[in-house]
Amino acid sequence: MSVLLSLLIVLPLLGTPLVFLAARWNKRVGINLALSLAGVIFLLAIFSYWVVFASPPAPGQYSLVEKYPWVSFIGLNYLLGLDGLSAPLVLISSLLTIFVMIGSKRMMHHMEPEYYALLLFFEGSIMGVFLSLNLILFYIFWELVLIPMFFFIGFWGGPRKKYAAMKFILFTYAGSTVMLLGFLAVYLGAPSPSFDIPDLAGKIPLAVQYLPLLATFIGFGVKLPVVPFHTWLPDAHVEAPAPISVLLAGVLLKMGGYGFLRISLGLFPQASSQYAWAFLIVAAVTMFYGSIVALVAKDLKRMIALTSINHMGFVLFGAFATAATGNILGVQGAILQMFTHAFAVGALFMLSGYIHEQAGTREIPLLHGLKITMPRTALLLVLASAAAMAVPPFASFLAEFFTLAAGISAFPLTGVVVLVPVITSGYFLWMIKRVVLSPPSSEPSAGGTGHDIPKLDAATIALYFVPLLLLLVFSSLILGPSAPVAQFLAHLGGR
Amino acid sequence: MDYVSLTVILMSVSSLLLPIFLFDPKRREREPAYFLGVVLAASLLMIGINTIYPAPGTIFGSLLASDRLGGIFALTTLFVTLIVVIVSTYTKRGPNTPAYYSLLSFTALGMVLLSYSQDLLIIFVAWELMSLPTYVLAGFNKRSMESNEASVKYAVIGAMSSAIILYAISLTYGLTGTTQISAVVQALSTQPLTLATSVAVLLFVTGFGFKMSIVPFHMWIPDAYEGAPIIVSTLLAAATKKAGFVSAIRVLLAISTFYVLTQNPIFTLPNVFAGLALVTMTLGNLAALTQKSMTRLLAYSSIAQAGYILIGFVIYSYGIQNSAFLREASLGITGALFHIVNHAIMKGVAFLAAGLVLLQLHRGDVQAYDGLSRRMPFTAITLSVAFLALAGVPPLSGFWSKLLLFLSVINGPFAWLAVAGVLNSAFSLGYYAWIIKRMYLDEPETAEKVNEPYTYLVIFAVSIGLIIGFGVFPDGIINFLSGAFTNIAPH
Repeated sequence: MSVLLSLLIVLPLLGTPLVFLAARWNKRVGINLALSLAGVIFLLAIFSYWVVFASPPAPGQYSLVEKYPWVSFIGLNYLLGLDGLSAPLVLISSLLTIFVMIGSKRMMHHMEPEYYALLLFFEGSIMGVFLSLNLILFYIFWELVLIPMFFFIGFWGGPRKKYAAMKFILFTYAGSTVMLLGFLAVYLGAPSPSFDIPDLAGKIPLAVQYLPLLATFIGFGVKLPVVPFHTWLPDAHVEAPAPISVLLAGVLLKMGGYGFLRISLGLFPQASSQYAWAFLIVAAVTMFYGSIVALVAKDLKRMIALTSINHMGFVLFGAFATAATGNILGVQGAILQMFTHAFAVGALFMLSGYIHEQAGTREIPLLHGLKITMPRTALLLVLASAAAMAVPPFASFLAEFFTLAAGISAFPLTGVVVLVPVITSGYFLWMIKRVVLSPPSSEPSAGGTGHDIPKLDAATIALYFVPLLLLLVFSSLILGPSAPVAQFLAHLGGR
Repeated sequence: MDYVSLTVILMSVSSLLLPIFLFDPKRREREPAYFLGVVLAASLLMIGINTIYPAPGTIFGSLLASDRLGGIFALTTLFVTLIVVIVSTYTKRGPNTPAYYSLLSFTALGMVLLSYSQDLLIIFVAWELMSLPTYVLAGFNKRSMESNEASVKYAVIGAMSSAIILYAISLTYGLTGTTQISAVVQALSTQPLTLATSVAVLLFVTGFGFKMSIVPFHMWIPDAYEGAPIIVSTLLAAATKKAGFVSAIRVLLAISTFYVLTQNPIFTLPNVFAGLALVTMTLGNLAALTQKSMTRLLAYSSIAQAGYILIGFVIYSYGIQNSAFLREASLGITGALFHIVNHAIMKGVAFLAAGLVLLQLHRGDVQAYDGLSRRMPFTAITLSVAFLALAGVPPLSGFWSKLLLFLSVINGPFAWLAVAGVLNSAFSLGYYAWIIKRMYLDEPETAEKVNEPYTYLVIFAVSIGLIIGFGVFPDGIINFLSGAFTNIAPH
């Protein structure tokens, strides 16, 4: 048995105290240690992705599996595995952690030892979420993610940080305990009691699927988020510091999407298929809600946060389009959407941080003429907006196209969600018109430095676009490994 | 002679010898604590050996039986008492100090006897041996009005619960002609259900319920915990409460009387437990949310935890009757036992940390915890870990015991209890996270550091180690605890 996947989890978790102590002793050494650890983890993630890409595991199978008995009294296993669904998410997590660390060097100057240690703790627990194939192990890592995020928002957040941190932890904890109930019901309802996802997939009787599907919908729905469980998100994203917003949108929300695909569709396929229409409606409502509210948002960062609600709606939409029809494009589009959203919105959040620093405000009506005053920032903002609008040549275009195509093949009526990208383009273009293209204001901005984004930082933000451009041409990098997963999920649904 | 008898004799001797220190004014402050500490450590060692390598059979006639269940409870309560003795040395108690330790010793002896009891009469004697000294201990700050009030309130309620238990015992003796628990169970199972049997069962529930802090028998708990010296509250919450649970397990779970009061299928013993569990956890959590004083918050949280433990009682008493639920019954009672052990550690260390804050800052209100992470960093992290474990956040010990408890009832007629338990857990994070927010995110009134004595730090480290250790590697402890229920009731 290989230990590669365990290393992906254990290395960052072990790094947490090391980085903390090192940074207490010497700040530079600690930060560099954190960066090099994240680099090593990224290389491991690439290698594990290569394993999955080179020989994608057969439908329902996993690569690099590790299995050890853990709690024998209830037959619990420590079970890890990788497939075309989790591998892209592992890659995102490791890559974004590096981006965030680089971006934080300029932005975070307060309690650095705790900050970089918690970044690694976050990375380790999020890896655990994506790699676990045992429901209880999955739940443990799922909850572990909350702890660093609570402190990220609470320690380093904006003016309403305490409120946002409490709201975040209470919402998501309540949602996940309900999800746990669903897992418990599965255990005793299955023909042979087990918490292992590979053992359970396709074996749970239909009668046992309905309530757990509902329970997990609440758990994952809070995380994704879907309307009406989304109210924690704008607060958390706006109050968190910019690098942490990148992690929130880029990685934490993906936990919800991953859960829907792996567990809702993977364990309760017939029930998902039966009620796919309900989930599609919820997804459509979420998409419309996110985009319409973003239209009227005054705060740039709040607008980007609401964009995430809108984009994550596509993930839910694609997942249940597959459940409804068996069209594998839905799941593939959802996986691609999670990947592209992480980078597009990540770049936007970092930019919002820089704009706040330079202009002293994030209020869209107060920002004027960036194209004159800060040309580099303006260029990056336009490019990142284009990526979020799903304009080719950015791969986000493919993702939204796939999910919409699958949805329309299920119920032609769902074609109305084509309007969502239209509204999205509308509010982004409007924002660009007001912020970038307007004439610069005559009075100097208050509180900001007034400088343009430094060249080096501009280059790190430009890195966010690389995967987006690459994937349009080499989309098989994601679509190849994800095809067996999509086939498996479609096959389970019996369509 | 086996180790249990040796322990009982050793502790009886120590309880009687400790007052001798009263006659030596030079040696009555610290020496009694050292003496009792050594006695307790020796007892822990002997009970530990006896639990791991059990000497089968009964002791003192058939009054005591050295089984694993008793061993687990004796170890838990002795461990808590030892910690209490250690931290007691930080408070000056004046000339009566030897009496204080003697009373502690008597209580510990009572708890050990209670853990191993096999006879209703020895249960009563041990119950009184455990309770009477704690009435005095609760009022040990004799110049403090609150302490006196706590003591009187506790003594009155305690006397009532003892009387109720005694009445239940006499009814049982009248019905069966014996006080031996296994004989009582056999006799009752052959008899038709009568009103007297039902009354006896309900009286046992009530009598033990006072100690177990079950709603509606809980009203003395917050006042007593708040008024008593906080070290004594630690003992009450983490040790004597557990003794209430062991008696309830020994007596109530063995009785196979299924219906209570009538043959009406609603009034069954599992249903009574289920109702009590629901009310206890909900009321405990709701009340804890509104508390302004840390000890009262801990007291109500302690009540809520008793509600979770009762879930194990529900499914066990149900499983005895329905063989289809034997697996669930085993899951549930193991979960209950694990939660009892966990609760002793989590709540014990939370009380100790609160006690340290009270000792150093002379304040017990929740505002005193603002910014505590900067003034007392180790106390703050200990409290946070204990609170997260109490809320059932993984991967801490409290998560596993709650998992077993909820898992045991999720399928079957008590699924609503699992839903209620899970919602309660989510709700309880509200007040636990609220204190954590105070300690880490809020600004302290003054930024000066506060001394955290080394003894406390060692105890904190050991407790956190146990909470995280049981959380990450729960396999061994769960298997060990699950073996305790082989000889309680016939399957």
